[in-house]
Amino acid sequence: MVSVSVRIAAANGDGIESSGTLLAKAAARKGLHIFGYRGYQSVIRGGHVWFSVRIADEKIYDHGETIDILVALNQDAVDHQASHLSKNAFVIYDSGKIKVDRLEGRGFRLLPIPLLDIAVETSGDPIVRNVVALGAVMKITGIGTDTLHQILKETFGKKGDKIVEQNVKAADRGYGYEGVETAFSLKSDNKKLYVMDGNTALSIGAYSAGCKFYAAYPMTPASSILHWFAAHEDKGVFVKQTEDEIAAINMTIGAASAGVRAMCGTSGGGFSLMVEGLGLAGMIEAPIVVVESQRTGPSTGLPTKTEQGDLLFVMNASQGEFPRIVAAPRDVEECFYVGKQAFNLAEKYQCPVVIMSDLFLSEHIESVESFDIDRVGIDRGKIATAVQDGRFKRYLLTEDGISPRSIPGTAGLEFTAASDEHNEYGDLVSDVLSGIDEHVEMRNKMHSKRMRKLETMLKNESCFVPSVESSSGSHSLVCFGSTTEASREAVKILKSKGIDVGLISFNYLLPLDRKATTDALKGKKLIDVEVNYTSQLAQIIKLCTGIDVDYKINKYDGEAITGEEIARKAEQIIKGVV
Amino acid sequence: MAGYSSGVKAIFCPGCGDFGVQAALNKAFMDLKIDKSNIVMVSGIGCSSSMPQVFGVYGIHSLHGRLLPVASGVKLANSKLTVVGVGGDGDGYGIGSGHFIHTARRNLDITYVVMNNEIYGLTTGQASPTSLRGAKTKSTPFGDIENPINPISLAIAAGATYVARGFSGDPMHMAELIKNGILHKGFALIDVFSPCVTFNKLNTYEWFKSRIYRLDKEGHDPSDIGKAMQRAMETEVTNWEKVPIGLFYKKEGETYEDSDIVLKNGPLAGQPAPSKENVMQILEENR
Repeated sequence: MVSVSVRIAAANGDGIESSGTLLAKAAARKGLHIFGYRGYQSVIRGGHVWFSVRIADEKIYDHGETIDILVALNQDAVDHQASHLSKNAFVIYDSGKIKVDRLEGRGFRLLPIPLLDIAVETSGDPIVRNVVALGAVMKITGIGTDTLHQILKETFGKKGDKIVEQNVKAADRGYGYEGVETAFSLKSDNKKLYVMDGNTALSIGAYSAGCKFYAAYPMTPASSILHWFAAHEDKGVFVKQTEDEIAAINMTIGAASAGVRAMCGTSGGGFSLMVEGLGLAGMIEAPIVVVESQRTGPSTGLPTKTEQGDLLFVMNASQGEFPRIVAAPRDVEECFYVGKQAFNLAEKYQCPVVIMSDLFLSEHIESVESFDIDRVGIDRGKIATAVQDGRFKRYLLTEDGISPRSIPGTAGLEFTAASDEHNEYGDLVSDVLSGIDEHVEMRNKMHSKRMRKLETMLKNESCFVPSVESSSGSHSLVCFGSTTEASREAVKILKSKGIDVGLISFNYLLPLDRKATTDALKGKKLIDVEVNYTSQLAQIIKLCTGIDVDYKINKYDGEAITGEEIARKAEQIIKGVV
Repeated sequence: MAGYSSGVKAIFCPGCGDFGVQAALNKAFMDLKIDKSNIVMVSGIGCSSSMPQVFGVYGIHSLHGRLLPVASGVKLANSKLTVVGVGGDGDGYGIGSGHFIHTARRNLDITYVVMNNEIYGLTTGQASPTSLRGAKTKSTPFGDIENPINPISLAIAAGATYVARGFSGDPMHMAELIKNGILHKGFALIDVFSPCVTFNKLNTYEWFKSRIYRLDKEGHDPSDIGKAMQRAMETEVTNWEKVPIGLFYKKEGETYEDSDIVLKNGPLAGQPAPSKENVMQILEENR
């Protein structure tokens, strides 16, 4: 495999995000695989930001730990990124502006290019220096300029031919700049690839499921779902920016109760506000989907950095007991399928489904092949259409715990959904009736009816077990959600060193099939990999199966974990160094 | 109660003002002949929030303070439904005050009836956001030192397009206000003085009867926002000697659902999932 990590580093407002996206799309359009991630801060201008795009000729699962080509657009970029450069890395920098003394004589290939001058010459616009640099990157990587030209045309077409021409010219000047030579040979497998982040894939999944309603209060890293829905209102999806997250989840409950597939999304702080609403959905059996994209906590934490610190919170959020489903898609592609499946699960089992993402999964971009739209169909669960006799029993006591629901507007099936404990009609058994024998019995029956849905899910669905990629070795990595991709990369790296390691990954955390989970974990030394301090998955595994993991790898500095980092630590564990 | 009853008995104390609201709601529904399967009554938590239970319509008895977002969700999902919010003063003007302001400015076609008894009843008699200054309650035994919220002026300021006040001692008048609130296209607030006979010994039926007067009998013009505000503030100006009831303010205009680019094409409920071609088309945006 040939892989090249390109990092563009500058200040906020320098346009590196669009440059990173241009590069990723130009490479993917060639059929090359990409993985991109952005390091940024909670400021609008200034600061130090970077965008890494790793390009390879086979599927890759992280953005890489080191940089093969650095595009340094300011002095900070050289100073802060020097320690991440790989051996013999290329450094493209503006000859007139930036000092590179600290990089000299260390084997790096320094490429001074008058980026700003060329930008001003070709377009009069300083920001076009990014495109000049991209041209040079296309040359070094050997990707060529044809797909970059296409992408520039598509991206800037709306701004007119002149802007497109200027950008194309700027790219060509960078590509042809004296001294810039091709150093890599990436072979395309000519697959048709798409480039998107996790939130986009999740949004398309929800759209594909027929989700027509999305409510949210802006919060990084969930905001891009709000933006996606807002940008697609012309496709018939309604979006509501609410006064707070409390309103967001309660509106979602109202919409879901009225028969529309509805979702809300937030990060941990906003989810804290949603917790009471989550319990309401559990009690009245409203089928809602909630996205919780985690960031580094507690409290405001590091708003633009990643973590997996909310797992136990989400699994236990709200007073009382009720069935819920907690999903944690493992990569961008799976965000689509889980995003679609979540609505089926919510409606079949009439309970809240929480999709856990995190800043890393929500925001990193990845090349993906076309989604199989038909793989997950649409199942709206049990819906009542005609009254049997007398008043409608919305909360009919059934063996599988699922009672057919009725949609407002349907004649003869009126009922009140109550957050108080209720009987089969939905009438309260909480106020004047509580404590009377008959209603004590009803509480028992109604609570166990709801809770029985968990057993029904486990019986009917095949998703509540971890995936096992076995190996001949003695150790397996264990992880959930977004950490799976870096773990896959680690397995590849270790294999290249002759170490065979297995991978057990969870994309659903609640409910869990006890026997299948025990079977999946048995027989190997377990190395648990989590982006948190308290190894929350390991705690769940212990609770569910009684199994203790053998080793733990934890990271909680806010930066995304990489395959190399996991591989290094796992290698030490396997070799008995630690 | 004929007409729209579910057969479930109300939990209100004998003499509770909320019986008057129950009768007024029933009369409004009957006069308007709304199909009961098209009514969704959404409440919060509190004595008055048990109201949906006694009606044989669709109901959601939601969380304390959250009835307006839930009701908004129902209306946004299916604008054909008649959505009526019912709750108390603590629910709407205390814990739910943020939602109250934002729902008012949103101008969704929802009718919101607040049974305002100036006290927390179901929690056995603590001060509420509308308790008068000086009111002695279980939580303010030395007298409430906060100023009461004025829901009428607050609603007008927040952008509500139908703002009225009724009194449980005059359910026929209240029924007209509710009926016109339901007919009004936009967010309608009907604040109702609904005495708590158990815990509020200050704001009794007699107390209100000696102070209230009807705006329609004084020639008030509800289309004039300045005059509406003046009338709304009369309780403050006269230190509750003169208390107007009736329609303070009404403004015709576009509702939220008429203005939204998705909703103006019809209700979301019943719309099918997109075709495979539509999904593939969206996927192509990401190349």
